[in-house]
Amino acid sequence: MMEELLHSSPGLVNFGIFFLLGTVLLLVVLGFVTYAILAERKVLGFMQNRMGPNQLGGKWGLLQTAADVLKLLLKEDTIPKLADKPLFIIAPVIAFAPSFMVLATIPFTDKLQFADIGVGLLYYIAISGLTTIGAVTAGWASNNKYALLGGMRAAAQMISYEIPLVMSVLGIILLSGSLNLNDIVAAQADTAWFIFLQPVAFFVFLIAATAELTRVPFDLVEAESELIAGFHVEYSGFRWAFFMLSEYVYLFAMSALVTILFFGGWLPLPFLGFIPGAIWFALKFSMVVFIFIWFRATFPRLRADHLMEFGWKVLVPIALANIFLTALGKELFEYFF
Amino acid sequence: MMSGEFIAFMGIALVAVIGGVLLLNLSNVMHMMVALVFTFVSIAGIYVLLSAEFVAAVQILIYAGAITIIMLFGIMLTRHEDTSEAPGSSWRKFAVFLGVLGFAAVLYFGIYNLDLPQMENTLHEKNTMQIGEALYSKFVIPFELTSVLLLVALIGSIMLAKKDDEKEGDKE
Repeated sequence: MMEELLHSSPGLVNFGIFFLLGTVLLLVVLGFVTYAILAERKVLGFMQNRMGPNQLGGKWGLLQTAADVLKLLLKEDTIPKLADKPLFIIAPVIAFAPSFMVLATIPFTDKLQFADIGVGLLYYIAISGLTTIGAVTAGWASNNKYALLGGMRAAAQMISYEIPLVMSVLGIILLSGSLNLNDIVAAQADTAWFIFLQPVAFFVFLIAATAELTRVPFDLVEAESELIAGFHVEYSGFRWAFFMLSEYVYLFAMSALVTILFFGGWLPLPFLGFIPGAIWFALKFSMVVFIFIWFRATFPRLRADHLMEFGWKVLVPIALANIFLTALGKELFEYFF
Repeated sequence: MMSGEFIAFMGIALVAVIGGVLLLNLSNVMHMMVALVFTFVSIAGIYVLLSAEFVAAVQILIYAGAITIIMLFGIMLTRHEDTSEAPGSSWRKFAVFLGVLGFAAVLYFGIYNLDLPQMENTLHEKNTMQIGEALYSKFVIPFELTSVLLLVALIGSIMLAKKDDEKEGDKE
């Protein structure tokens, strides 16, 4: 269905259909964010031997996040008197818009995708970098030293971890011969899931992805014990909700990307092909989200200088070596077989 | 004439020009940077319209992502309270006006008489692969020279940073 739509001639009807589909995707993502926050609190609770939210919406606290969002929307919207007002207002928009834009290129199944871009993988990485500008702008516009420190840390961390992130996927690009996410999944259908062919790349990517998402153990950007909350200290109400929302939309996007790059996207396990691709995708995707939550419960936060050293002196050389070995392996394989 | 491509181009070009004008007219450096981001992103949009998707993605990655952040760093670490200086004397303004006029005339005649032959191109298919093949076969020597140049710049910046460290060490 999507395939035909993408190739049909442009017109007002098509615009309407795409607008509607975009809205549906937004609602799906909002639903995911609602329950991802609940899942995070529940899983953290169980791992720390406590209950987590269990009052609102039955035993499982199913309405807890909805109530939280309602509270945020009803909260007073404060703008500090000495803040840079135009930048303070535009910063959450700059931070959120790219997080939703990256979803366009992600193929959920072989038929369900919004844009089949030739450079899909690069598009994701490029657009997600724009959020950093939102964080830095917010940190600066708040006119608060903690916010400024948080913004600087966000910029430094995201720039340094983007490099191992890109370099770790270069091995996959070498093996699949394409930047297109559909082709990458197709290459995995021909050989094996890239987690088996590129295990080193998987670990580098997972670590760099956690850092890009600024989640524990790399959450120096908002480290509540040292910076209160980093670049969004001065934000409240729905403006703060936008930062939170973009963080969780990135969790959605990054988990989907890990699923596609390393776990074969919608591809089934052998002999289980009768289960539809969408369900396979959802299963693998949920597993990756769980791993990210698990990380949060088990690792202590890194120190700022350790973080930079780890990124530049450990991850980058490993990623480089991985590229070299992958290229060598590919050439030898083609030479002998 | 009112094709979708035309509408898209007008929208993107408008944002690019507005971003550029704001960059010149705003007085606060941080505001200028945000205006510049809009210009960078809309230029990437124009690349997409020209079916150069790889260049578009790299434009956003390098310019809107990395370079802007580095400039923001520079601004924050120095005196970010500074605003633009007041304009100079009226004679200087007149000279600048003449310069702008001359530039506009040169550009106008240059573009007016420009006749680009229509060529068949296959840019929209495997854009990245075409760039890679051109870069590593036809233009491999300029490419390698550029990488050497970048390496020299990198070593130079490391040397500069090292010198600063030693001086600070001497003070202590």
